[in-house]
Amino acid sequence: MKAITAFSVKIDVADAVADIREQLSPADATMVLFFASPAYDPDRLAAAMADAFPTSVTFGCTTAGEIVTGRMLTHSVVAMAFTKAAVKSVKVEVLKDLDTQSNEAFASFERHFDTRMSDMDPDRYAGILLIDGLCRKEELIVDRIGDLTNVNFVGGSAGDDLRFAVTHVYANGTSHTHAAVVALMEPAVPFSFLKTQSFAPLPQKLVVTRANEAEREVIEFNHKPAIVAYAEALGVTVEQAAAHFLNNPVGLMFDEEPFVRSPQRVKDGSMIFYCAIKEGMELSLLQSTDIIADTRRTLDAARTASGELSAIVNFNCILRTLELRQKGLTDQYGELFAAVPTVGFSTYGEQFIGHMNQTATMIVFH
Amino acid sequence: MAGQIKQMIDLIVQQRGEGNKVLEGVVKMKLILKGIDPKNYTETSPDDPEVLGRLLTLMREMK
Repeated sequence: MKAITAFSVKIDVADAVADIREQLSPADATMVLFFASPAYDPDRLAAAMADAFPTSVTFGCTTAGEIVTGRMLTHSVVAMAFTKAAVKSVKVEVLKDLDTQSNEAFASFERHFDTRMSDMDPDRYAGILLIDGLCRKEELIVDRIGDLTNVNFVGGSAGDDLRFAVTHVYANGTSHTHAAVVALMEPAVPFSFLKTQSFAPLPQKLVVTRANEAEREVIEFNHKPAIVAYAEALGVTVEQAAAHFLNNPVGLMFDEEPFVRSPQRVKDGSMIFYCAIKEGMELSLLQSTDIIADTRRTLDAARTASGELSAIVNFNCILRTLELRQKGLTDQYGELFAAVPTVGFSTYGEQFIGHMNQTATMIVFH
Repeated sequence: MAGQIKQMIDLIVQQRGEGNKVLEGVVKMKLILKGIDPKNYTETSPDDPEVLGRLLTLMREMK
């Protein structure tokens, strides 16, 4: 067994961790990755998980819903123990100050693996990034990592059950806010990364002609107030436009694949997004498709390309989860992951190469 | 002069891509996310000092 999953819906932190520990007890785990509802006290939970798995690296974050083998849950703790047969070695660092560019975490990785970040083989190493979901620093961190190394990092922005008040990341017994947990691992088995979103590009293009990147605000598309250009592209009125945000986000296209940027709200003719958009970017209007069918196709393609899956870590956008909940499809989505040990959560943003929205990013172990 | 941006982009993609088409695609996507879309630059594109500076910083970072 390479990876084992567990979940608990026990309300008390100690009871939930004891429950998780009992289910994962056979595992000689290199690392235990866990995601938890913000209903659990973050400091107590982080400490209890570290105490329960004293020989393992423990890390995770708060969520807006949890995912575990075959199920989508709420108000739970989910965990995956990676045995040495799955992950040979892992090093976890916390970026405590997201406003300051620091190389210390990456220097620590270099010492641990005795290899420069720039020399690390992306087929040998893989990274996981968990970041405060309210910090709006994801682009900065992902861009920084991408500059330093060819190793791929996948991850999600921590959630807080749609309260949008405070999110936490956990590492080795401590919880942090306005911080990121960065884990670099050396898997013992082949692995690959998946990015799936359920949108098809429409022919309409929107070029960002004025933006306030720091505020994730697009002021103008095509030299017009952003919401006017967006509404025109959709063929609806400005008043109707916001009702289309969920089904018609925009995408930065590469090789016919969208990197989805989701509008959040309208502000005086501007559009505020859930991720940053730069001036000059050409975006395609997108049309939603079928999350269940598209995700199944992505998992099947991974099996065909690289062999059977032995574990999955799934970072699934909360907007996808909300759509699944509205359509009564959460059980069907969970079932897509019934045959493979899976852990994950509903995120406030997803990371793979960049930061994006309305996407599921995953690392799969073969 | 013109075309320096394309030259630098090609060099970055070549160095970081290590001859691997998948890696080269990832490098190009990283550049697009930085707001530097390789397909927008040709041998005759003006040498925008701001873009050149960003590419130079990136090249130093990757060494």
